[in-house]
Amino acid sequence: MRVEFKPEGIHLPAIDLWLDPRVPVPAAWLSHAHSDHARGLHEAAISTAITGRLYRHRWPLPAHRTQQLLTLNPGQSMEWRGATLTARQAAHILGAAQLEIEYEGERLIYTGDIKRRTPICGWETQPIPCDHLIIESTFGLPIYQFLEAAEAQTRIANFARECLAVGQTPIFQGYGLGRGQEIAHTLALHEIPCQVHHSIAALIPYFEAEGYTFPTESANGAILVTPGQEEKVPIPPAKRKTALVSGWAALDNARARSNADVLIPYSDHADFSELLTLIAESNPSQIDIVHGYAAPLAHILRQRGYNAREARL
Amino acid sequence: MDALAHAAERVAATNSRREKIAHVASYLQSLNDADLARAVLYLSGRPFPSTDPRKLSVGYATMRAALAAATGWDAETLALCYREVGDSGETISHLCRPITNAEPLSLQQAETHFETLRKTRLTQVKVDLLTSIFQTHAAPALKFFVKTITGNLRIGLQEKMVEEAIAQATSQPADAVRAANNRGGNLSVVALSARANTLESIVATLFHPLDFMLAQPIDETKELADPENWVAEDKYDGIRSQLHVANGKVKLFTRGLEETTDAFPEIILAFTNLPGPLILDGEILATSFQLLQQRLARKKVSAKMMAEIPVHFVAYDILMHQGELVFDRPLEHRRQLLDNLGLVRTSQQTPLQTHAQIEALFNEARARGNEGLMLKRRGSLYESGKRAANWLKVKKPLGTLDVVVTAAEQGHGRRAGVLSDVTFAIRDGDKYLNIGKAYTGLTDAEIKELTKVLRALTIEKFAGGRVQIVRPEVVLEVAFDGLQKSPRHKSGYALRFPRIVRWRRDKRPEDIDTLARVHQISLGAVLPEKSVITENPEENPAK
Repeated sequence: MRVEFKPEGIHLPAIDLWLDPRVPVPAAWLSHAHSDHARGLHEAAISTAITGRLYRHRWPLPAHRTQQLLTLNPGQSMEWRGATLTARQAAHILGAAQLEIEYEGERLIYTGDIKRRTPICGWETQPIPCDHLIIESTFGLPIYQFLEAAEAQTRIANFARECLAVGQTPIFQGYGLGRGQEIAHTLALHEIPCQVHHSIAALIPYFEAEGYTFPTESANGAILVTPGQEEKVPIPPAKRKTALVSGWAALDNARARSNADVLIPYSDHADFSELLTLIAESNPSQIDIVHGYAAPLAHILRQRGYNAREARL
Repeated sequence: MDALAHAAERVAATNSRREKIAHVASYLQSLNDADLARAVLYLSGRPFPSTDPRKLSVGYATMRAALAAATGWDAETLALCYREVGDSGETISHLCRPITNAEPLSLQQAETHFETLRKTRLTQVKVDLLTSIFQTHAAPALKFFVKTITGNLRIGLQEKMVEEAIAQATSQPADAVRAANNRGGNLSVVALSARANTLESIVATLFHPLDFMLAQPIDETKELADPENWVAEDKYDGIRSQLHVANGKVKLFTRGLEETTDAFPEIILAFTNLPGPLILDGEILATSFQLLQQRLARKKVSAKMMAEIPVHFVAYDILMHQGELVFDRPLEHRRQLLDNLGLVRTSQQTPLQTHAQIEALFNEARARGNEGLMLKRRGSLYESGKRAANWLKVKKPLGTLDVVVTAAEQGHGRRAGVLSDVTFAIRDGDKYLNIGKAYTGLTDAEIKELTKVLRALTIEKFAGGRVQIVRPEVVLEVAFDGLQKSPRHKSGYALRFPRIVRWRRDKRPEDIDTLARVHQISLGAVLPEKSVITENPEENPAK
């Protein structure tokens, strides 16, 4: 199946479907609700039910507009202009899914953002063998190695407890959708009180609806903010420590970039070895790599006998 | 090395100087004497004591070859990984293959490896040894083993802090440890002596550079409350140097504590017959700083170059006299000892009375081609290693220029992720002509923001993406102390000591200074080609 990589997004002309388009289009698949993937008011948007709800929260429908929201939950299929679309679980953020497209005897998988390890919040990745794989490479270099969720949770809790034990305030930097709630949920599991920045707190009800617990608000515990906001926390430097929970925390220079003291390399993206695992499991005869280290990863995969190329958007 | 790596990671994970020192101190306390002697060196980023003149000679190419051999990664992937990480030791820690039966790397083994690497002459043998080390040991130890080789741990720990940690771990006063290290220069010996309570027995070591006393800058001499308590000297535009003499042997060291003896044979010759042991503080001068830099660039200097660019040493202080340190003698006493040596070239000291006199002396110094004035407090001691308030430098910037950024370069280590060095230009009609490059002057937050802005303006990338040519849009105000003719820059000029004063968001590239204005400054105020110094004994009242 022909795939077009354009500045507006990934386009499948045979069935006129866009994958995570950056501009409004007639029909879009939204792999997950991060705003670089689910954005704009498309005439028709297909996604999992959870992604649909988070997308609606972030892109409310103006009163005079209409939009067709189609739900395709993992394991469900639908016919679309001669193709069969099936949603498959993707470990990334809550509600993330891969899209399987079967068309004229060929199976294409678009992973969206994905990792192979178990996430703190969300479901596991379901690996699907396919002919053509479109995959991301945010961390597609061998220097990136991340922690298992359980280990990351232990470090998050230990960091918070060690700070509180010596009278310092532990501050976490986490993204507004995904990491922020994962850190908050982890603190709840360890019964560590926490104040949560409003941009993270606003989406907590969607996580609670899926059964995740969250800490009670308390001024005497940890503080959870989005990156860059930690500078605005009115606590003197000697009375605080900051942890960065991110894939970028795999490298020491993240300290200088983020002003964090402690680095916890945990991500909702695959690290290098997870990417290799995902690719081996789907064993595709054609690989297109988008985002991040696409060219170097394609180079590495070709050395290993894959038919891989960088797909420039 | 694993325990050292663990301690080093804890040091990296705090911004607090006090906590960093406490982590090192508690680690040092846990070590036996032999390991204490090794650990203090490695934590300072040295495989050997600084008194040891021998070098490890493991360059980036050797490191890269060993890394490729040990990990199996191709050159292209390795180069990209290194670029993203910005540190050899850390790159290795991410790329070395996980081994199930990795052997711990003891400090004693590390010492043996450093020794073997140093003795080995053949690059390929060094590569093979490093490869086998990378394949035998695990990540945290390897990371800091390699960082010790490259000489920078990048954990925000300076040697001064290791000195304090030694003091804390051995319950000695920090000043005593610092002074002992300055005298002896061998941190291992200092740590062991501190533990044995014998710091006082460490004597000054000749031919190991002592820390220089540094001056605080002042722009307005009116700030000086009591001119009558100060003396003035010209501030020379040369290379600050320490000269060690004993038994016909002479060595020169720069302020960065690098040895430069081989670059200046005529100075060595001129001081060979001086009675030692003796240490002088002073400045190496040529007819211009530009020419001096050409001399410094050569490890070995030809007779032709010595004839074309003659240099000399002007002494202005004495740190050791007849084998005895004289740090703690007052300025006037040290000056007397210096004058008694009967040197041809010493700085001229003028006792001050009034502010007006400072202005006049400053202008005279500038007219002689010198940078400005040095003010030294009467009765003050030589405060080795300190930027003390008893020495002041009056430089006065020549002016500031509004310039536009044309290129930016990624930094190293802490600054690996940001564009910390910028090249900038002035305007000539609708053309932008480069005139200099600056490294500092902005805060971390500003650098971070500037990086974002410059990345968005990138036109072209060079050197694997390290250097980016940008659309000329960002306007900076830079201060500088002088102008030099420069064939390297399209403008034909280079700024001396350029520093970024502020980011002029209010200005557009059309508003920046022009080549015509730079011409004008150069005609009115450019530093003269010929620098005149006090080298006539008659002019020196002490003679």
